[in-house]
Amino acid sequence: MIVLVSGLASGALFAAAALIYNVMFSTSKVLSVATGHTSMLGGVFGAWFMSSLGLPAPVALLGSVAAGAAFGFITDLVAIRRVLSRSDEHLWLLSTLALATMTQQVVSLWWGTEPRPFPRLLPQGYSAGLADQRYWLPVAVALLLAIGLELFYRQTLYGKLFMALSEDAFAARARGVPTGRLRALSYVMAGAMGSLAGFAAGQLTFAYFALGLTLSLNGFIALAAGGLGSNLGALVGGGALGMLNAVATYFIGGEYQNTVAVGLLMVVLLIKPEGLFGTKVARPV
Amino acid sequence: MRAFTKRQPIAILALAACLLALPLWAGDLYKVHLAALIGTYWVLIAGLNLVAGYTGQISVGHVGLLSIGAYAFAILAGRHGWHPMLALGAAGGIGGLFGLVLGLPSLRLPGFYFAMTTLASALIVSEIALAQPNLTGGGVGLPVPGFPSPFGTTAGSYELILGVASLVTWLTWNVARRMWGRALVAIRDSVITAQAVGIPVFRAKLTVFVFSGITAGLAGGLFASLQSYITPDTFVVELGLFFFVCIIIGGRGRILGPFLGTVVLTALPELAAPLAKLGNFFYGLLLLIVVLLVPEGIGPLFEVLLARLRGWRSQSWQVKPDLGRLAAACGAPHAGKPRKEITAAGPLP
Repeated sequence: MIVLVSGLASGALFAAAALIYNVMFSTSKVLSVATGHTSMLGGVFGAWFMSSLGLPAPVALLGSVAAGAAFGFITDLVAIRRVLSRSDEHLWLLSTLALATMTQQVVSLWWGTEPRPFPRLLPQGYSAGLADQRYWLPVAVALLLAIGLELFYRQTLYGKLFMALSEDAFAARARGVPTGRLRALSYVMAGAMGSLAGFAAGQLTFAYFALGLTLSLNGFIALAAGGLGSNLGALVGGGALGMLNAVATYFIGGEYQNTVAVGLLMVVLLIKPEGLFGTKVARPV
Repeated sequence: MRAFTKRQPIAILALAACLLALPLWAGDLYKVHLAALIGTYWVLIAGLNLVAGYTGQISVGHVGLLSIGAYAFAILAGRHGWHPMLALGAAGGIGGLFGLVLGLPSLRLPGFYFAMTTLASALIVSEIALAQPNLTGGGVGLPVPGFPSPFGTTAGSYELILGVASLVTWLTWNVARRMWGRALVAIRDSVITAQAVGIPVFRAKLTVFVFSGITAGLAGGLFASLQSYITPDTFVVELGLFFFVCIIIGGRGRILGPFLGTVVLTALPELAAPLAKLGNFFYGLLLLIVVLLVPEGIGPLFEVLLARLRGWRSQSWQVKPDLGRLAAACGAPHAGKPRKEITAAGPLP
């Protein structure tokens, strides 16, 4: 039982990463390698604010969300803006990869390469077992993010502009939508969301510099399995991947986590290349 | 590709002689070792260059194939007592086999999916290396035997690596400048056009990927014997990024550029100590700068500068509309000109 619950919790984190991929993909058609690094920054900054500076949890939450938002803005500014204006297909992959590497290296130099503990967020004993906050906090945050995104897309003007941009960027621009500013906004949002998820899951993952790449990879696998562009798919894919990882760790051993994850990706891509909830894309000829 | 000028064979011969005699003029053994390391990396990067530089497939996971080659060499030559030369060949073969296994599913995927799959494959290889202590020694690692007598010393192994590297360079050069190279560049620039002109896209990609797997396996064998002891920590994912950066910095679709990139990027952190501490940050920064400022790589930049120095004017290939002909074509029905004149002017509708 504890296996399934912890699997669900880490799956929620993957789902959050997949949601962030979706937010960035909707406005820019870019899958950023630095996606998981926003969550990593959330965890590291949260631990730093609370343990080293001794700030209370709400202030630390605000601080790390702000740091994540700033990182999202920097991603857009440094790695996306100039590259997209050149419209070469490969270059954004390289620039976000470079940014991710630099971020990881800087954090490892500043924070150290060992995972450090993340302080308790809510007053609770360590004997709660399955009801422990480190399991349900990430799940709650992932659900909250998904519901919030759905409301944002359906109810607000900016959400509708995002949808228009993701449907047809040229048409949106022709109707007077400021595409560049919206893209920057979406990256800031993605950074804040990732940071929030990383903060909530800090007790599960610890504040660890190498978390970013793992999350980028697993979040992407969750997204590809669930269907690119679908928020429901991101949730289902993330949950399934987390559970599968946990069960595989329980039965085979913890050494084969990536193998299992890539196996899932391959099976889904072979059977249903667009993912479980994805829409088919016609090939341009 | 330019044709041979008269001076070029002489230049190549002189370069070859220089490189052959490197142990004599390098001074200390460390520099020879460094040169051997550069050669080993180049064996892999030359193969990867065909995949990444020419075909435009972003593979960040070649470090996994390098690791497979290294372990194959260490196990065959060390534990089973094969002749090191035979084991080196086998390492290349096994690298090619794993390239095939990895390429068959992943090369069908679009860009980002392919990059992530290769990244994951590198992680899988290091996972398995850690999880199978009976085969690979686990986290403790494996000792690796050196090469027999003529290649036993540092200088000797350098000469061997030089030989393999020259062979691989010659092969990739042949691939790049003939029909295959054109096909690969066509796939990189537009898959749809490549399909339309009858290039078997998937087969071409797979062939080149398997070739790069073979060179990665060979490089793994050489690398292992150079290091003389390997652990899973030797083959970190960032090494894959390093290979990739060498190619991008040198310029895609070239051979000399990535070679210079390899030399500079391998030698710089060794010679300048502060850079070694920053390590991956430095590579990331370099990659970012190149992508943002000179996406064609530094190689073409040098070519342009060289051309300027020699006093060549840069040629502009701008197409100017032939306004007179256009006017004739558009105005033809009204002016009542005979239609024959227009068709004679060119293929205007």
